[in-house]
Amino acid sequence: MRSKKFILLVLIPVFLHVLVFMIIPIIGSGVISFLDYNPLRDNNTFVALENYKQLFSDGDFWKALKNTLVFVVVAVAANIVISLFLSAIITQFRSNRTRSFFRMMVFLPCIAPLVASSVVWGRSIYPTNGGLINLIVTSLGGKPLNWLGDARYLMMSVILFTLWADVGYNTILFSAGMDGIPTEFYEAAAIDGSGRWNQFWKITFPLLGRTFAFVLVMTVISYFQMFAQFNVLALKNGPQNSGLVLTSYIYKLAFTNKNMGYASAVSVALFVIIMIVTLIQQRLNKVDWEY
Amino acid sequence: MIKSKSDNIYKFIMLTLLILACVIIVLPYVWMISNSFKSTKETLTDPNHLIPRNFTLKGYKDVLFDSPFLKWFLNSSFIALIVVTVVLFSSSLVGYIFSKYNFKLKGLLFMVLLATMMVPAQTTMVPSFLLISKLGLYDTLWAVIVPTCISAFGIYLCKQFCDEIPRELMESAKLDGAGDFTVFFRIALPQIRPAIGALAIFTFLECWNDYLHPLLYLSSTDQMTLPLALSYFSTAHSSNLSATMAASALIMIPSAIVFIIFQKQFIKGIAMTGMK
Repeated sequence: MRSKKFILLVLIPVFLHVLVFMIIPIIGSGVISFLDYNPLRDNNTFVALENYKQLFSDGDFWKALKNTLVFVVVAVAANIVISLFLSAIITQFRSNRTRSFFRMMVFLPCIAPLVASSVVWGRSIYPTNGGLINLIVTSLGGKPLNWLGDARYLMMSVILFTLWADVGYNTILFSAGMDGIPTEFYEAAAIDGSGRWNQFWKITFPLLGRTFAFVLVMTVISYFQMFAQFNVLALKNGPQNSGLVLTSYIYKLAFTNKNMGYASAVSVALFVIIMIVTLIQQRLNKVDWEY
Repeated sequence: MIKSKSDNIYKFIMLTLLILACVIIVLPYVWMISNSFKSTKETLTDPNHLIPRNFTLKGYKDVLFDSPFLKWFLNSSFIALIVVTVVLFSSSLVGYIFSKYNFKLKGLLFMVLLATMMVPAQTTMVPSFLLISKLGLYDTLWAVIVPTCISAFGIYLCKQFCDEIPRELMESAKLDGAGDFTVFFRIALPQIRPAIGALAIFTFLECWNDYLHPLLYLSSTDQMTLPLALSYFSTAHSSNLSATMAASALIMIPSAIVFIIFQKQFIKGIAMTGMK
């Protein structure tokens, strides 16, 4: 009897909080997407599917969608390859101290606020005037680039920055997975004369399956939501909207243009895209599992 | 014999690659610190050297004395302290209840909780903003604190760990006449300490580094948190590069030091929450 009181005492406030701050905003997003909603106006009319129809003819939306997909595909692929590579090398060191030293180094950028790192890169690394990258490029005899001011390079620059800032996280996750693989497997493979490349693909990679699936899904989801670095590095969404992604488009529509109804429609679209991609990935992982 | 020679070459190449990776990681930090001690003019006109020719503290003075940097730091600390405390408490308690008690709608409620985890904050920007305004929290620190006080992920993590506590442990305490809260505090909490530690790190980082929520909910300079303030500062003082880099350094260095001291716990925690 007393237990029941205890449960209610804890769960009622917690689920009230969940209702108000999580469920209502989720439903709200759907509801507002059917309105022509401007917070500065008194009358906000119901426009049914008008906002969704507008999506199809809105060039900026498609541009943002394309940019988002390019960013997610390229950055996730590069992130996974680099972090697998780094963790594979780091795991090979026998000494625990060496391993934890390199892990610490790789992880260092992950603890800084993404915005702070973006500001440093935007103001000190990428600028054409006194920026570190161009100094290095010219001293190596290369041609300096306008990293953030040229529509052709902006997305690449944001991706490079994101990799610098975020590769450590997955490296740690992969390392933890690799540490769990018994060394006997490698010893046996080495006795059989199997090379390192082979060992990686035949032992490490398959046994990493669960970690890999998890890391892939999490990275894809989080890269769809990236916002801070675009907000800082792509000034006013970059030349010709080359740095416009869905999150920054939602922000711009809602808080600069005060067109919250349409912004909600774009939010719903982003949510649906993330959902679909997640479901596809889970399907693919399941197929893999049955082997 | 030959094998060990190729082994050494391989090791040498791998070590070189790793060291190169570390240099790439550290270089932007070094450059940031170097620029923070140079005058803006020197950075723009004579950038080609790492050690400042005219070492100056003006950037740091501008940040610390001509802007409410201390206030920003206190705002961030206040938010992080409350959020981490409440999240740890609520997550462990609710996770414990979901793990060890049976009650009506348990399955449904847990599903709802997990489902909210799937919805990114970026897709509910508009209604969240309107809600915060309606509640009168706009431009107060509570706007950032209140919505983040319950963590579905934290509850999930704690439930996973509570599942591994043997039931007998709690039964015997209850036979001794201990109440539900006492059993939770005395028996369950010590058992799930690793999860709590990892959750503390995770929540702290997320809260301390958060940019989107402060950007949406805070507008006056005095209410800003460090990440928001930095992006504001770098735009407002865009001609004062030296001060911008000093501000960046002041924001990044403390967390870097904390990380280096507690790196073992950090990395264990990240790996654990990722794996669970």
